[in-house]
Amino acid sequence: MTAWLVRRCAAAIAIVFAVVTLTFLLIHLAPGTPFVPSDERVLDPAVVDGLRRQFGLDRPLGVQYVRYVVALLHGDPGYSFSLRRPIGEVLATTVPNTLLLSGAALAIDFLLGAAIGLYQAARARHRADVVLGNATLFLYSVPTFWLGLVLVLVFGQHLAWFPVGGDRNPVLYPSLSLLGRLGDRAWHLALPALTLGLVGAGGTARFQRAALLEVAGQDFIRTARAKGLHERRIWLVHTLRNALLPLITLFGLALPFLLTGAVLIETVFSWPGMGKLAADAIFTRDYPVVTAAALLASVMVVLGSLVADVLYSVADPRIRLGKGGARA
Amino acid sequence: MRAPTKPPPPSLIGLAALVALTACTRPSTCRGDYCGTLVFAAAGQPDILLPPVSVQGLARDVYQQIFLKLADIGPSMNTLGDHDFQPQLSQRWEWETPTRLVFHLDPRARWQDGPPVTAADVAFTFQAYTDSQVHAESRPLLGGIVSVTARDSLTAVFAYRERYPEMFYAAVYHMYILPRHLLDTVPRPRWATAAFGRVPVGDGPYRFVSWTPGQSVELGADSTFFLGRPHIRRLIWQFVGDQQAAITQLVAGQGDALEFLGPLDNLRRVQQVPQLATYPYKSSAYGYMLFNVAAPLFSDRAVRRALVLALDRDRMNQSVWAGQAKVPPGPMPQLWSVWDPAIRSLPYDTAAAARLLAQRGWRAVGGGGSARTRGGQKLAIELLVPTTSAVRRQYARLIQAQLLTVGVDVKLVEIEPNVMQDRLAKGNFEAAILSYQADPSPTAGVTQHWGRGAPGNFGHYANPAFQRALEAAGHGANRPEEAARAWREAFSILNDDAPAAWLYAPNLVAAVHRRVADVQVRPDSWWALVRTWRIPADRLIDRDRVER
Repeated sequence: MTAWLVRRCAAAIAIVFAVVTLTFLLIHLAPGTPFVPSDERVLDPAVVDGLRRQFGLDRPLGVQYVRYVVALLHGDPGYSFSLRRPIGEVLATTVPNTLLLSGAALAIDFLLGAAIGLYQAARARHRADVVLGNATLFLYSVPTFWLGLVLVLVFGQHLAWFPVGGDRNPVLYPSLSLLGRLGDRAWHLALPALTLGLVGAGGTARFQRAALLEVAGQDFIRTARAKGLHERRIWLVHTLRNALLPLITLFGLALPFLLTGAVLIETVFSWPGMGKLAADAIFTRDYPVVTAAALLASVMVVLGSLVADVLYSVADPRIRLGKGGARA
Repeated sequence: MRAPTKPPPPSLIGLAALVALTACTRPSTCRGDYCGTLVFAAAGQPDILLPPVSVQGLARDVYQQIFLKLADIGPSMNTLGDHDFQPQLSQRWEWETPTRLVFHLDPRARWQDGPPVTAADVAFTFQAYTDSQVHAESRPLLGGIVSVTARDSLTAVFAYRERYPEMFYAAVYHMYILPRHLLDTVPRPRWATAAFGRVPVGDGPYRFVSWTPGQSVELGADSTFFLGRPHIRRLIWQFVGDQQAAITQLVAGQGDALEFLGPLDNLRRVQQVPQLATYPYKSSAYGYMLFNVAAPLFSDRAVRRALVLALDRDRMNQSVWAGQAKVPPGPMPQLWSVWDPAIRSLPYDTAAAARLLAQRGWRAVGGGGSARTRGGQKLAIELLVPTTSAVRRQYARLIQAQLLTVGVDVKLVEIEPNVMQDRLAKGNFEAAILSYQADPSPTAGVTQHWGRGAPGNFGHYANPAFQRALEAAGHGANRPEEAARAWREAFSILNDDAPAAWLYAPNLVAAVHRRVADVQVRPDSWWALVRTWRIPADRLIDRDRVER
């Protein structure tokens, strides 16, 4: 197990390093320049050149790269060009927002999706299964940004039940009690989390239904039924546990999304998270922010895959992590 | 029979609980004329709230409430002389000699952390703005000022190289006075990321309160402000993703003001909301199709003139702006005092355009004028247009259709603004549709974009006659009528040379919640007069009363 972990960690570091290097090179080589005002003004090129010098962009790319990596190894990812503050400070405000949004969305996705899948499997080929099957297919097919815009229009603008954007009410928030602040954050979280969660739940439910039905046809389930076990116990304990493996894989793959998957929704709902930060940074050519976002995303992918492997072994005792990596 | 009452669905109960939770505020106690919270819907976010080093317009909207200038431009927007300027930090000023200007500071002015504002702060500010390590955007515009010195604590003296019509404007418009006692220890090369720019201390009507990156900036009224306590107590800029999101925020009642509504659809959307009032104002922007004179095709003046003649710009404006824009008689917004419809310019005349092209060897082929060639080469141009501007993309399509009628094939290239800026700076383009947000001064704007070798002269236009006329207008003329005549001459030469087709100078529309009274939107700087706005006591809504 330890040797396996060491090997995986070494591979993970190599992958993260490769991602950072590639991102750094690609974003610097992309056409375009930082320090362009977002309004219609045309900045004096001398001012742009001065700012480029100030942020070290006048150096050869190789020199910039070495300086960046050395600084990164010392825990300093640099300054954001567009926000003029340390990247660490920027991430400290955006990462928690994205974790909150994506965490809530993942919870809705997997809890609702698994529940619907289970309900459908237990009533396979009945009317409820058909209706829910169509509903989940619809949700799965809907682009998230479209669903987000519809929810904003209906529940934000017309019914005014929810805010149309932001992560808090800037007028009220400072004067709210702790409980009030939690409520305000939840109120702002509702629409974006539902948008992401519902679309995800559509896919998860279909996936889970298929996995459950496959397990339900196996001999040990028939044996359990012949032994006279209660139907609920058969589904919740025997079938569900054995159908969890593909769901765990899905969950592992979804973990990176915790930091990166909400780009469109964060933009639609003006949610101040990593996705919106990264998208804005790409358009403003804020190189250090783009590279930091890629670094975080790659770390999450590697961690997600590691967590999925570990959860595999917990869910299925036949899987052992050891020599040769994970094996069944 | 009455149907049994169903319990409300769980989602509604949850919603009600959340709403109840959000009601857990401190009691709303503010009453009277000095309450009020204004939420500005802002597409984007500021970079830094330190005036000389910021390059974002939104940052200026915020810091102009925190920092003061020595004097500010008046409602006429006249930049010539000093008659139309209004005192801010300086109580009065006088010309000691034709090139020596003396400002007397208002002794009541204080920095928000206590010390008085002094002439030493003024001198320090000038040094900072002109320091090559600070990279202030307005540094080139201060070139006419030799020095700024403090004669005593309340007297600042500006010395100029020479007399010119906008010497007062140069001294006051671009510099927000900075606190020397807080900034002189910050090394100049570090100003671009200085912590002061994230928690600024100024001398203006509003104090900095908080800045949540990606979310909002809040300012609070300074009740001791020496020029009069602002009526509106809290100003909040809430950052949203883009223009459409800002309008949605406004329409949904979660924002109070937006400076620019954009295309007509947005205006109609806002006009359907009874609680919003709209305020038209002359824009400080204009749009144009720039020709790269260094490109082989556009080095030919006749070809450039032909393309301008072939464009029905009035019809384009009608189509895009529904009459809310004019064809500018030169590179100028409606805001400029030098706007003069009598300036000589090229009319819409497709027959003349076709003749000019034919004279230059571009012959129509295939009939109907749908294509032209010369020596086997097709008359085709590549036109850059930014993906982010709906207005300019509309113009690009109209230009493409109109130029096709005289046989010019226009290939549209829609690119990101950053890439476009890069290509413009490198001269890697044939034609581009640009929009320019101008200062009130024609001198700076025209020189910067059309002067020979000027950094913003992306089209590489040069004509000694125009250069002479430009210098005469900017520096030679001492009386307003002389300056106006010189400007007319300069623009006429420019129009004859056709380095660009001037497309539109719009009237824009801002939207502000109806409860706000005394609203004035300043064309060059929309929210500059917010400290004079007020919300009458009988119009206050809940968010106006919330105590922070």
